[in-house]
Order: sequence, then structure tokens, then C-alpha cells
Amino acid sequence: MKKLVILFLVLAMVSTMILGCSSDNGDNGNGNGTEEQLVVGFIYVGPTNDGGYTTAHDNGRLFMEQELGDKVKTIYKESVPEDKGEVVKVIREMVDQGAEIVFATSFGHMDGLIEAAAEFPEVTFSHCSGYQTADNATNYFGRMYQARYLSGIVAGMKTETNKIAYVAAFPIPEVIRGINAFTLGAQSVNPDVEVHVRWTNTWYDPASEKAAAEALLDEGCDVTAQHQDSTATMVAAEEAGAFSIGYNVSSEEAVPKAYMTAPLWNWGEYYLTAVQEVLDGTWTNTPYWGGMYEGIVTLDELTALAPEGAAEAVEAAEQKIVSGDFDVFYGPVLNQAGEEIVKAGEKMSDADMLSMNWFVKGVVGTIPASN
Amino acid sequence: MENILVEMNSISKSFGSVQALDKVELTLVGGEVHSLLGENGAGKSSLMNILAGIYTPDTGNIKIRGKQVDISSPKVAIDLGIGMIHQHFKLVEVLTAKENIVAGYDKEFFIKGSKLSEKIKNISLKYGLEIDPDKKIYDMSVAEKQRVEILKVLYRGAEILILDEPTAVLTPQETEKLFDIIRNMTQMGCAVVIITHKLNEVMEISDVVTVLRKGKYISTVKKTETDTNELTKMMVGKAVDLSIERPPVGERKKILEVLNLSALKSDKTKALDDINFEMYTGEILGVAGIAGSGQKELCEALAGLYPITQGDVVYQGESILGKNPREIIKMGISMSFVPEDRLGMGLVASMNIVDNILLKEYQKQEGLIISRRPSKEKAQIIVDKLNISTPSTDSHPVRLLSGGNIQKVLLGREIESNPHVIITAYPTRGLDIGSSYLIYDLLNEQKKQNVALLYVGEDLDVLMELCDRILVMCNGKITGIVDGQEADREKIGLMMSGAYKEEIGL
Amino acid sequence: MRIAKRSELTKVQIVLVRLAAVVGALIFGGVFLIILGENPLTIYTSMIDGGLGSFFRFRETVNLTIPLLITSLGVMVAFKMRFWNIGAEGQIFMGAFAASYFALNFAYLPKIVLLPLMGLAAMVSGGIWLLIPAWFKAKFGTNETLFTLMLNYIALKWVTYLQYSLWKDPAGMGFPKIPSFEENALLPKILGIHVGWVIALLLIYLAYIYLNHTKTGYEIAVIGESEDTARYAGIDIKRVILKTMFLSGGICGLVGMIQASGISGTLSVDLSGGVGFTAIITAWLSGLNPVMVGIVSFLFAMLRQGGSFIQTAYEIPASAAEILQALILFFVLASEFFVRYKFVLSHKHGTGVKK
Repeated sequence: MKKLVILFLVLAMVSTMILGCSSDNGDNGNGNGTEEQLVVGFIYVGPTNDGGYTTAHDNGRLFMEQELGDKVKTIYKESVPEDKGEVVKVIREMVDQGAEIVFATSFGHMDGLIEAAAEFPEVTFSHCSGYQTADNATNYFGRMYQARYLSGIVAGMKTETNKIAYVAAFPIPEVIRGINAFTLGAQSVNPDVEVHVRWTNTWYDPASEKAAAEALLDEGCDVTAQHQDSTATMVAAEEAGAFSIGYNVSSEEAVPKAYMTAPLWNWGEYYLTAVQEVLDGTWTNTPYWGGMYEGIVTLDELTALAPEGAAEAVEAAEQKIVSGDFDVFYGPVLNQAGEEIVKAGEKMSDADMLSMNWFVKGVVGTIPASN
Repeated sequence: MENILVEMNSISKSFGSVQALDKVELTLVGGEVHSLLGENGAGKSSLMNILAGIYTPDTGNIKIRGKQVDISSPKVAIDLGIGMIHQHFKLVEVLTAKENIVAGYDKEFFIKGSKLSEKIKNISLKYGLEIDPDKKIYDMSVAEKQRVEILKVLYRGAEILILDEPTAVLTPQETEKLFDIIRNMTQMGCAVVIITHKLNEVMEISDVVTVLRKGKYISTVKKTETDTNELTKMMVGKAVDLSIERPPVGERKKILEVLNLSALKSDKTKALDDINFEMYTGEILGVAGIAGSGQKELCEALAGLYPITQGDVVYQGESILGKNPREIIKMGISMSFVPEDRLGMGLVASMNIVDNILLKEYQKQEGLIISRRPSKEKAQIIVDKLNISTPSTDSHPVRLLSGGNIQKVLLGREIESNPHVIITAYPTRGLDIGSSYLIYDLLNEQKKQNVALLYVGEDLDVLMELCDRILVMCNGKITGIVDGQEADREKIGLMMSGAYKEEIGL
Repeated sequence: MRIAKRSELTKVQIVLVRLAAVVGALIFGGVFLIILGENPLTIYTSMIDGGLGSFFRFRETVNLTIPLLITSLGVMVAFKMRFWNIGAEGQIFMGAFAASYFALNFAYLPKIVLLPLMGLAAMVSGGIWLLIPAWFKAKFGTNETLFTLMLNYIALKWVTYLQYSLWKDPAGMGFPKIPSFEENALLPKILGIHVGWVIALLLIYLAYIYLNHTKTGYEIAVIGESEDTARYAGIDIKRVILKTMFLSGGICGLVGMIQASGISGTLSVDLSGGVGFTAIITAWLSGLNPVMVGIVSFLFAMLRQGGSFIQTAYEIPASAAEILQALILFFVLASEFFVRYKFVLSHKHGTGVKK
């Protein structure tokens, strides 16, 4: 064994030397960008083919890469756990491979990204859905609640039991905001509707997503919505003969008998803008929070399963949102206890929306206390 | 005309670098008892395992009833009418004899009651194999179990029977009975092979003897045309004086007293039952008994390794009961135990000689860190004194040594601690004749230095020649203690089977 | 064809068998890579490059080596005694838990006090976690393999519980994470890598001395070889088992502290990275020799780091890179079989009587 190891080491050294020599001719092949190429790193929380959240981001990456052509080279890492140590490690690897701008796409990647930002001041960082910033790090997100509101309209019109299932990942402001917006959208067309929430404590785990959906369907829900990255909730709805609102990407092909529509991400626009800014040297650490107006979030085209009149109702609401006349959390908004959080005639500030930790009236479920 | 059943021609087999068999010849004739004689490692069992389909030979060919065959598995062997009875029985304890006989024999899928019993009874009557088909194996004596094994192969139609060391576990009387059965089988035209190294048995039962030595075929002779001296010479390769010295007892002082000692086995049956005896300096006390009569437990109990339920062990007036070996050493009592399982208990198989010497030394050292130097010196002394052949004392695992050298390391270490009492269990088991005699000499030398020795042995002839007194055990009880010089083989045999009980007066 | 036991191979032959395994794995993996449309040679060289090619990469490899190495040493001590500690993963978590307790609640202590305190807590906690099955084994003869394996899940669920509710960061806006440690609960760096590497090297030396030159080390070796011999020599087997298991679990527990304090900066369910299981393989492949543990762990870390590198560099899916690593591992493990056994072609076929 000892000899084997020595042999192995010698082999390793020899190969490194060969590689060291060959790296003179431009490091071709191993992913490092040439001098004029900007290397852009993407950190994904799931696999690129999850058919959901990560696929949406990856589509954005591909769009940006296509638009900018030879000017950029992208690298990515899938299924990166939301653990500080892991994130820092992946960022180090990416910087080592020449990355000058790194996007991390999940909330739990924030701590690692902020730490890595301090370690690599020359690299630009942008984190999706978080709230911390640094000189060289910002965050970006979309006003997904707007599209969720629209999807709520579809669900509210569709339900007959007036119970809608909502399978949700983590009790964080992003998710809570989406649930509230969805509920308000549903209530705008159906005042009696209830939205039943279940937490899975995971972004991507088809098994537990499906289990949560099945439990809610058993409770009498006949339409599902989700803040999850797989299609499992919709599959459960389809199996139960119910209907569903998806998330992230269009799922008509995956669940043809249940899918009505979905709030969608369109990250490509942001990635293109941000990378262009870095190329131009105009990048700042101002957080980006675009909405339907910017085109970063949209609602998928309604399928034939959507209720009659939904398309018109959605169209009308979308007009108001895009034009800036309305933005979902316009008073009066009541919380679960019936207290008026946003008074009539007032609207909620971005800061309040970004730290939302309460449910609107009509949501059935609790937010676990943070101690 | 001779009925030639088996011809094995030029059989060779190697295990790795060890040439177990080198062009060995064997011819078995129906109606004859053929003894396969040789020391340990001569290749007897390997050769028979080839015939039984357990090993495949590297080269050579086998003819059964004149036809060349390829015995690729035990199943093929059974189909060819070859049956082997191994030293360690392969019976299911919780099943009855009948069930064991049919189990695994694919011609009988269902175990049919009465019809089967009748068939078995017929076979047992034919060969004189007394057996109760409905008795559970765990209720049987060793001899009964052996008969079940024999029945099993006969039931499967075996005509060529191989018995591997069949008498090792039997009393002289049981051996006689077995020989009767074997004679019955040969009368029916069977060919019987007995693997053995006991010369007197060879002379008693066999018609033809084939001798192997170190994997090589030496010779095949008719029993009537040879004698034990010639056979020994063929086995060992040189003439050996087979008499064992028995020096006179020296200063005979009582040193160890065993009082009403009882112990249980793991299944709560009695391992030792009210054992009483004394050990004296300058004397070898032999322990005879069929295997598993409590010898192992007795030795371990004396050495503080076996839990006692009752009784006492008194060393020069002081009880050493309930003390572990280390505590016994701490009391200043020098007692050495040479266990039966040398590599599994007495030594650490994968360690070298120095580290094995260290086993009894390291506790005496101060501090946490071990110094190997004293053990290394001691190892060299033992190696030189006992003429142990090893490439090195500190880099060669003892398991790679020959059996004789392993025993010399163990015995050497124990003797080197200048004990007052030495307990040895089967110290020559598996050793060649030369090594065995060297061990007898070593023990006698200790006797001359007034050490008290306990010698547990399996070969009655050796016990009667070597020991001053012989303690006979049966089922955990002492059935007699007889004087070695006046011992009678038959009488000891009866005591071993519990059929005769000597008044313990010695 | 049949399987036959080999005689003991010479050291040169063993090296040859293992070398053949590595070559076999590379060829097999190469075929796999060609199917994926990649050039195996480039991928292999860049795997090595990815593990050692720059200081960054080397540091990441070392960062992976540290927990693997120390855990391997921990389980090795138990394996020496033929006590199958499959529960290193759980001991790491319990160690990390205890260390985190002090890091989160006693952050006001000076670094020089806090860090040793965390280390000690981790070792005691990991040690106790293995002492539980050890005690049951000594007392009732329970099977330690299953017992330690099950304790992994309990430890993991306990940390999950802490992360999701009891210790959840109130500043995390509902996201289930435990607050990050204060600066003085973080391991300092030496030469750009956290001090874990110094601890690891020190532990190799200590383990070597402990196993080869102390009385207990000798007793462990005797017990591992044969309990009967140990009894025969008057060794207090139960005491040695308990003592050694405490040590084994303690070393694994220390890994938890090092990972929490040196890498993750807090306690998290992803903290172990599965080293508790990988360490079983590395300890075994090293032939339970502390120095070899160091070398094998480094090679393993290189394999993982290289695999991670090619993932981003060649856009090879994460799962494919893992399959490649698993292939190499599989071949090396399979070679262990061929060190002991060989296939023999029967020179004659058929059964029974020749026609």
C-alpha cells in the first residue's frame, strides 16, 4: 500500500507538471475564461433539471450567456447546501476558476456569500432573496407577490370548496409575502376563500412536498398552490382530481390534468443587466427588486382548465399593477386576528414587505415563532 | 477378482505457494479398509477432500469404477457414491437423526415419517449402526452423532466412505464398536478410508496402508507385510524411538488442591461437577477423557479464566478462586497455563515473537509507554534455547511459524517465567512426531526441576507412558485417578465412558 | 470459473493488484466520460489539477482532508479492537452540538479559553455518544454496528431540531439556521488554513504512539486479535473497551467542533459532509495505520475536490462526477477482494462422468 501511495503521488505530481506546462496555451478546456471573457458563477440550490426554481435560474443564465456571447463564460454548481461552509467553499472554487461575479440563488446561501464577499473584495457578489449587502455584494429579487396575486385570482375563481391548499417551504418573509398576496388575490374574486398552509422546511424534496399536498387535499382543498421547487404538489393534485397553480416554470406538460397557470420567474433580464453593469463598470450594490413592470415576474398563460372569466380578471388586475395604480398590499389589509395592519388608503413600504412575518386574514396556518 | 472402486492418479494440489499434494496415487478396493497415514500437513485430508468434491485438483485424474470423472462438487461426489465423514460433524443439533439424514438430500422433498424411519432402520440393522431415528442430535453422545453421520452417507447410497480421524473423539470401547461397523461395511463390498495418525489403530483395522509425507506419496503396503516401526519410518522419514521417558518423581510436595469444584457451561449444564484432586511438585498429572468432558473448563478454571459456581482452588494453603490471571500473578503465585488454542488464546497470531513475549511482561513495566527491549532479549533466549526456527523475532508473525515452533514459543514463554505449576492442554495436538517428543522432553525437564504439571492429553498411550498419575474425566466428573505405571487401557476406557468408577483414593 | 483463496501475497503483488484496480477504474471511468462526450485524459488531469493545481485548490483539498483524516483516526482506534464504530457521523454532530453550546452561550470568554473549552466539550460529548453503545455491548453484548448506526440518526435529528426550532436564529427572518459564531469562537488560521491541519498532524503522531508504544495500545491490539488471549493475559477487557470507545468517539466529536468552528462558523445539519461514513472506508483502506490514514485521507480529499472541480469546469452534472468518484472507490475496494481471493478457470467442465 505504501508503495502504491508513493506511486500515486508521483503520478499525481507528474500529471500536474504536464498540466502546468500545457496551461501556457491558454488554459483551454478547463473552464477558465480567456482574458477578455468575464467569468460568471452561479450557485444553485437544486439540480438544474429540477423543473422549477433552479431551472428558472438556469434559463436566466443561458439567456444572459446567449445575449452577451463571447464576452462572458458562465460556470455553475448545482445542489449546493444552504450551509455557510459549503457556500464559501464553492465560491472559493469559482473564484479560483476565474469568476469575477458570483450569483447565489437561494436564501440560505446568504451568510456564506457575505463571508466570501469579505474574503474576495475584488469579486462582485449578488444574492437572490436575501437582505444583507456589502460593498461588493448586493441582493436581487423579484416582486413575485405580484404574479402570486394574479394566480390567486385564478385559484379563487376555481375553488368550489373555498379551500385552497398552499404547500410552502420555509416561514421566511419571501414565502409569507407570497402566501399573503395569493390569498388577497383569491379574496378579490371570492371573499369566502381560505388558504390552508403547510410547511415542508425544504425547497426541494418531492416526497415531503407531495405528502404535504396530500394532507391538505384530504382536508378538502380542491385547488393547490405552492412555494416549492418541484412539481410534486401538482402531481398530488392531479392524482386527487384537483387543480393546481404551479411555480417557477410552466408545467402544463408535466401535469396536464391539473395545471392552470403559474407565477413565473424570468431571471434572464436581471442577469443580463447585472453582468452588463459589471462589464461596463457601472455596477453598484443597490439591491434590485423588479416586478411585473420590469418583466422579471410574469404569470403563465392560463390553460383551458382555468375557470371562465379568469383571463379577463387577471388581465384587469395585471393592467393596474403594471401601470403602478395598485400593488397588492394596499389597505385595508387585515391580519389573521382581524387587526388592520395596512390602513385603508395606505400602502405597505418595501421594507415592511421584505420583513413580513404575519399572515393576512383568510390564511389558515401558523408561522412558527422565532425565538 | 479385485473390485477397484477408486483410482486417483498423480494428484497434485497447491494452496498458494504451499504444495499440499504432489503427484499422489491412491487405489481403493471394495471390501477393504484403507488407512491413509501421515503426520499433520502430510496432505491426507486434502487428498480426501478432493475425492469428496470439496477441492478440485490442479493436475491428475480420478477414475471411479473405471470411468474417468470430474468431481467438481460434493454433490457430484455423492452421486458417484462417495461419502465423507468429517472430523467436525455437520449436523443440525435441534433436528432428529432422521431429519438430519434426509435434510438437504433433494430426492426427498418432504420428510415422510414412518416409511422413512423404516428405511433408516433397515440400513442401521444391515451395518450394525444402532441409532434411534427420532432422537434429537443434542441429546446424543459423540459416538451416536458419528453413527448418524455414517448413516447419512450410507442413506445417500455411498459405497466409498471416508472417515477423517474418526477415533479422536471416542473411548477405546466406542472405537471397538466403530471398527465393527467398518468391518460390516467392507463385508457389504464398501471401500472405507480412514484418515489417521494413530499407528495402533492402523494395525488393528486396516487391510492396506498408504503413507503420505509432506504432500508426497511415499508408499502403499499391505498391513500384513509391515509393522509400526516401518510405518513410522515412512511417516517421519527416519527411524524414531517411540518410547517416552518417564523420569522418577522427585520431591513430592502438595502444592495445589482442588476442592469440590463445579462450573456451568453457557447452556447451564454442568461443565465441571464436584472435582477434587491434588497436584504435587515433581509430578506430571495426566488428564484423560473423551473430548469435551470438561478438560478445557478445568484448565481454564485453574488459570482463573472460567467462572466457578462452587468449590475452591487452594495454592499452598491460599485460595486463588475468583482471581483473574493477573491477580494470581500479583499474589506471587507462578502458575503457567498452556492452552489448547495456541493462536486463539495463548498467543496473538498476527504479532511477532517479541510482542507475544510482551503479553506476559508489559504489566510489570512502569509508566504508560512500553519498552520492548527486555522482551526482545527474552525472545532471543527462548529462540536459541528451544531451537525455534524463525526468520526474525520482531517482524515475523507467529501464525506463519510451523505448529511445532508456535508451541515452542508458547511453552518457552511460560517456562521462562519459572513457574511452580504448569497446566498444559493438548500440548502436542497437531504437532509432528519430532516436535511432540521435544515437548515431552521439555515437560519432563520441568518435572525434574520439581514443577507440578497437569497434562491434558488425548492419546491414551502417551498419557500412560508420560504421566505419573492419570485423572480420568467423564461428563465433567472425575471417574477415577489411576497410577500411570499400572494403568490399564481397558479400564481407563471404561472410566472415560463413565461405565466404571474408581474409588478415588490416590 | 470459481473463487479460490489466495496464499498470502507479497507486498509487491498487493501493490500491483491495487494499481491494477486504479488503472481499471480509470479505464472504466474513461468509458463513462466518453459516453458523456468528454475527453477522459483532460478530465483526469484536470481532476488532479483541481485538487492540487493552485493554493486555493490545495487549501480546499486540505479543508476536506482535515475532517476525513481525524474521523478516520477516530474510527480506526475502534476498528483496531474490532469494534465497528459506524457512528462517527453521529459523534461528529454531538461534538459539534456541544462545541456550539459553548460558542453560542459563552461567547464573552476570551478565545484562548473558549476554543479549548469547545474542543473539550466536543470530545466529551462525542465520547459519551459512543460510550452508550459500548456500554451496552460490554454489558449485554448488543450489536454495536446497528447501535452506532442508529445513533447517527438520533444525533442528526437532534441537530435538525436545534436548527429548526430550539436554536433558530431570531435574526434569520424565519429561515432555519443557527446564529453564526462570534469571532472568538472561530478557529484561527495558520498559513491560510484553519488550525485543524495542525491538530490532524498532531493526532496522527499521537495515534501512532498510542497504538504502538503504550500499554493500552498494546492491549487494544491484543483484544482486537482475540478476546480469549486478552482474558488469558489478564486484560480487563471491558475497561479497555470503554476507555477506547470514549477516545474513539471523542476524536470524532472533535471533528464536529473543528467543522463548526473552522468551516461552517456555526452548527448546521450539513456540517459533516458525510465524512463519518467515508472515514470508515479510508480507515479500512489504510490498513488501520495512522500514517497511512493521513495519506489515504488526503488522496480521498483530492478525489472529491477534483470531482467538484470538473463539475464546474466541464459542466458535468454533479451526479456524474459523483459516479466517477464512486467508480474509482468501487474498484479500489474490489481490489481488496482480489488481494485475498482469485478466480480460477476450471480446466475441466461438466459434471460427473466423462463421456
